[in-house]
Amino acid sequence: MAPYVTRREALGGAAAALVLASCGGGYPPPASGPRAGSGVALLGSLLALERASFAAYGVCLDVLTGEARAEVHAIRAQERAHAAGLERAIEDLGGTPPPGRGAAEYRRTFPRLRTAEDALRFAEDLEERQVRAYLEALTDFPAVELRLEAAGICADEANHLGAVRVLQGLPAAQGPFVTGAL
Amino acid sequence: MADRSDVDLLGDLVARERRLVSAYEAALRRGVIDASLGETLLSHERAHVSALERTLAGRGNPTATVPAPELTAALRDRRSFALYALKLEGETIAAYVDGVPRIGDAKLRQPLGSIMVCGGAHVVALKDSLGRFLVN
Repeated sequence: MAPYVTRREALGGAAAALVLASCGGGYPPPASGPRAGSGVALLGSLLALERASFAAYGVCLDVLTGEARAEVHAIRAQERAHAAGLERAIEDLGGTPPPGRGAAEYRRTFPRLRTAEDALRFAEDLEERQVRAYLEALTDFPAVELRLEAAGICADEANHLGAVRVLQGLPAAQGPFVTGAL
Repeated sequence: MADRSDVDLLGDLVARERRLVSAYEAALRRGVIDASLGETLLSHERAHVSALERTLAGRGNPTATVPAPELTAALRDRRSFALYALKLEGETIAAYVDGVPRIGDAKLRQPLGSIMVCGGAHVVALKDSLGRFLVN
């Protein structure tokens, strides 16, 4: 059973940060295959984040109903498609996608979501983290092709972030800039 | 797509953002958008234009913005305008998706991407105003 945490701790971001930090980064480039600096390690980190988000949305679906459930179901399908695209990108660079975790393994690390409000706040935190990761990738990826892939996925995540905010009764956009202005 | 200079790419983006400013200003004047939503979206677009113009300053002459002929027709009622704005926001996001990765100055890409993310939220807000499914 998932450890009990207070609603604020679980859903204000701390738990999601912990979960995703443990899932979403630090993969070294493989010993053989793509050259160092090809971007494959960053692709691996983004892939881990997408897989964790896919699993997290599965947990959210357990407590959602109606319109919110339908929207989150659609978001989850897109996260799976993103993961598949990232796997292909790794393979295109001559790498091997890192093995994912099982659904049960992910589920053990997520906070317990008791209400739809809990799930949507958790989802908002997931999406904020994904948006930031892809914005950083726009700077960090060495090849324009990889940056194009990151920008396309980032646009989807922006849509997801706006959607989960609206589902909570919040404005879709918090402000004109998500992470710092020009 | 042929390589374009950063100035060309930024000029294209600021022209698109100005078109959105013009659209939301006109919609607010004509009362064809909810005032609160319109003011919010307009303030974001103005901030985007201002940021892009600052970035362009000293890099070259900003591109002139040609008013879109479709805007007049879109101002007849709220639904028409929301559909028009949705299209305009979508085209602008597509321009960011295609343009930002090609910007040579790496430190500009993240803040430009941040504007793109805001555009994604605008699409959601407009879909919500139309009672549409939110996820693309």
